[in-house]
Formats: sequence, structure tokens, C-alpha cells
Amino acid sequence: MSSASNSNILEFDDVDFSYGADTLLIREICFSIESSEFIGLLGANGSGKSTILKLASGILQAHRGGVRLWGRDLCEYKNRDRAKLLSYLPQMLEMSIPFTIREFVSMGLYPYETLPELTVDDAIEMVGLTGNSESLITNLSGGERRRVYIAMTLLQGAGLVLLDEPLANLDIKYQIELLRLLKELRKERAMTTLMALHDINIAFQFDRIILIKEGRVLGTGTPEEVLTRELLKEAFDVEIEFKTEDTGGVYIRY
Amino acid sequence: MIKRKDTHVEIGGKLFLIIGISVTIFISALFVGPKLISPLSMSSTEKQILLSIRLPRVFISVLMGMALGASGAVLQGILRNPLADPYILGISSGAALSAAAGIIAGITFIGIFTIPVLAFTGALITGVFVGAMGWKRGGFWPDRLLLAGVGLGFLFSALLMLIMSVSSNEGLKRATLWIFGDLSLADWTIIPYGFAFIAIGLGISMFRAKALNSLMLGDDLSHSLGFSPKRERFILFVSVGLMTAASVSLGGLIGFIGLLIPHIGRFIIGSDSRILVPVSALGGGILLCIADLIGKSIVSPMELPAGIITAIIGAPYFLYLLRRKDVLSI
Repeated sequence: MSSASNSNILEFDDVDFSYGADTLLIREICFSIESSEFIGLLGANGSGKSTILKLASGILQAHRGGVRLWGRDLCEYKNRDRAKLLSYLPQMLEMSIPFTIREFVSMGLYPYETLPELTVDDAIEMVGLTGNSESLITNLSGGERRRVYIAMTLLQGAGLVLLDEPLANLDIKYQIELLRLLKELRKERAMTTLMALHDINIAFQFDRIILIKEGRVLGTGTPEEVLTRELLKEAFDVEIEFKTEDTGGVYIRY
Repeated sequence: MIKRKDTHVEIGGKLFLIIGISVTIFISALFVGPKLISPLSMSSTEKQILLSIRLPRVFISVLMGMALGASGAVLQGILRNPLADPYILGISSGAALSAAAGIIAGITFIGIFTIPVLAFTGALITGVFVGAMGWKRGGFWPDRLLLAGVGLGFLFSALLMLIMSVSSNEGLKRATLWIFGDLSLADWTIIPYGFAFIAIGLGISMFRAKALNSLMLGDDLSHSLGFSPKRERFILFVSVGLMTAASVSLGGLIGFIGLLIPHIGRFIIGSDSRILVPVSALGGGILLCIADLIGKSIVSPMELPAGIITAIIGAPYFLYLLRRKDVLSI
């Protein structure tokens, strides 16, 4: 697992992590992500999804093992260089300073000296907030605010986007639109997405699922391969299974 | 839904206007006062008053106001707390304790520099101590910084009250005046030192304004945007420490400016620190300059401390904004 394949954009190589001397939160994590993949990181609350994303973004450093971005150790990148390749949107979004949507989204341009292809207006339009660009973010609802954060992350224009539960607080309409948008960006810009989620209902939207339990990879593969009754029972400690209808639709049965 | 319809042209126009107003007020303050001086026909005495008394006083009030306004904007950002001001970190209390003790004890070991040096040293030592208390896992933690500052501020205020309550000499009145912001001892000799520290602090703050914006989004997003939040918070904390310590040492404690000028600035020009920091600096300079002008003119030949006037002018205006506009984040 040590030699990087050329198409591997992100690799976790036997990674352990804990806060201080506490019990390991992340244990022997190994996986790799290829360019343009659309991957869901699925697991119960507290399973270690957010910690994995923070390790992947370089906010946390592995105690053992390595995290590589384009085959190079993540720690070797300068902050600004890394920000052009990788963007991360955390789960908790707090804002008490009254930025306008435009002021806020335009921060996505900070890693660049010259303007990238995407404009601030493009990014605002992508998340359906055109016409509100001068509204104050402190006056927005939770869902609208999350869309503003997503616009900033998209404007950053990185090839790898790490999203921690970005669908939280979003209406079903915007959940679907965001998933469609991310898939479009994969096609148009070869953007790779690693998204933490705990909602099993949307898991079938991804190319691949990495199932996590107690800081370990429980299974990885296509949704059909991973979302089995046995693995879901182990990951979530509940009896559930997916059923496919004759029409091709998938529903949860429990 | 509240919107701010500023385009780049509008913001540029507002900036130009603020700079114009600032320059006009700073120059006018030289000629207006307890005695009006005509710039067209000045006697030699009036020239002497202008150069030796009014000019250094305007310089000091502008420098102090700029330092406090900019410090407030920076501090509210790095602590992600709209109620933060330069004094919440206890720096002012440390300076006040040190300077008041020196005034009451009659210490004059380096002449006119004694009180400014005592205040600056007190502020700096307090800043380092608060910084040490707020340091954990290789970086400053906003909540720890705030709590350390508030705790230390209470301790120093209590010690200050203790010293003042057992004193009865002439120094007590001077110390009281100094605590409320006394610019009457403005002198050219200390200006270069204050200017140097404030210019360095302001320069750092403006140079790191993008990083300051990113810190307001939280450390994780700041990191994602290509900054090192721990390093940036440290650099900006040092800049605030320098500006606040220099300001306090120039003329004592001036309340209100650091807390509320940034909010007024956000209302006028927006929250982008690249514009807000210089605008808060100019706004602080304008307010303190006007406050000092009023303080020395309204009951002439007596003087009211500028710190009292800033609060009397500023607080009602802020409350008016709070009532009228839903743009303040508190």
C-alpha cells in the first residue's frame, strides 16, 4: 500500500490517531481514492467519520501511518498549495460576524493570486442564492447558511472536496440539488468528493461507500456490496436491509 | 431580509469619504478649541500653541483612537466574539495598575517617560501572561484567552482600587484622570515611540487581514483556505498587544472605541477586514479627536477626560444603530 498509484488522489496508509494519550479513535485505516470518484463515508454517530476527514484535510496529523495527497505526504505541502488541491467543509458552522453572502463566498479565492475559472457569482448561482448576494449571512436560515458555505468551498476550486455532513439542515430539494451539482462537477471538472454521512437513505447515490465503525474500516465497495444486512447490523447495531423494487427503486426495510 | 447593497465603487466612495472626513477633522482640531485660531493670521503665541500643544495632542488622540479602533476589529475577529474589545484581555487593567501605582508613589525615574513606560510595561507583561494562560496544544484558544483576560482584569482592577483607596495625596487625582484617558500631558517626546508601535501593529493587522477574515470562519475553515490558524492568531494577538499597550501608555484608558467602532464600521462599510480594519482605525481616530476637542473646550479652562466623552457620544449612537438596524451581530 505504500506505492502510490498515479490516479490515487488521496491515500490513507495504516493510519492511527488519538487525542493525547486517550484510546485510539482511528485504527489502522487504509483506503485510497481515485480522481473523479464520488465517495460516501458512512458510519454511526461517533464512529470517526469527522476525524478521518480532518486527517485527510491535514487539520489533524496521524500518529502512525501516512496520509498522502497525489502521492506526496500531506504534511509536505505548503498551506496555500494544499488549499488549491483540497478543500474541507466542517460539520459545525458558526458565524456571528455579519458578512454578506458575497463577502463570505469570495473568501474561497484566498488561496489564489490570480482569479480562477469560477467567479463568485457562478458559485452563488450554483447553490441557488442568486439575487441574495448582498444579504447578511447572520440573517439566513441554517440551510441557507450551509449553502453559502458550500458555495465558498466550490469557489475554492480544489480537485478534492471533503464534506462533513453537508446535507444536514438542507431541505430535500437542496439535498438532491447538491448531490446533482457535485456529480456534475465530477463530470465537468473531474472533481473528487469524499462526503461523511450518517443517512443511509442517500448512500446509493455514491460510486463507493467506505463503512466505518469505531475508527476502523468495516467495508468498502459499491453501495450494493457494502450495504448488506450483516454489515449494517455491525455498523449501526440495528436490523435493517435494503430492498430493490421492480421499478429499480431502493427502500429501507426494518 | 437585511441586505447591504454595496458595490466596489460604493465601498471605494465611502472609503474616500471617510478618509476625507478624517483629514478634515484632524486639521480642524488644530484650529478649534477653547481658543479659536485662524490659520490665515496667526500670532507667534498662537503658532507656539499650535505646534507645542495642539499638534502633539491631536497626534496622540488620533494615534490612540486608531490603535483602539483597529485593535477592536482584530480582536473581535481572532476571538470570534463581537463583544470583545482591546481591554477585555486585561491589558488595560495591567497598564492602569502599573501606571497608577507609579503616579501615586511619585515615581519619576525617567522623567516624562516614566508613566508611559510603566503603562507600556504593565500592558505588555499582562499581555504575555494572558497569552501564556490562553496557550494550549501549540496555539491560542479564544475562550481561554478571554477567560484569562477577564479573570486577570478583575484581579488588577481590585488591586488598583486597593491602592487608590489607601492613597490621599495629589497623585490620586492625577491617577484618576489618567485612568479615564488624560491627553492634557501630550508631548512630542513620546509620540515617535507610540507611533512606531501602533504603526507596526496596524501594519501587521492590515497585512494579515485575509487571515483575520478566515479566522472568523473557524480554525478548520481557515486551515482549509490555506492559513495556519494558530500562527495567524498569534501574530494578530501580538499586533493587538502592541497597539493597545502603546495606546494606553500614550494617554491612559479610553473606553468604548475598541468595542463599538468596529460595529459601526461594519454597518458603514461591511465586515471584510481588509477594509474594516483601516476604517475602524480612522473611525477611532475621528471619535477620539472629537471627544478630546469637546472635553477640553466644553468647560474650559477645566478639562473632561476624553474617555468619558467617547462613551457619552458613542453609546447613544450605538444604541440608535442597534434600534434602527438589524446589522449588528450582538
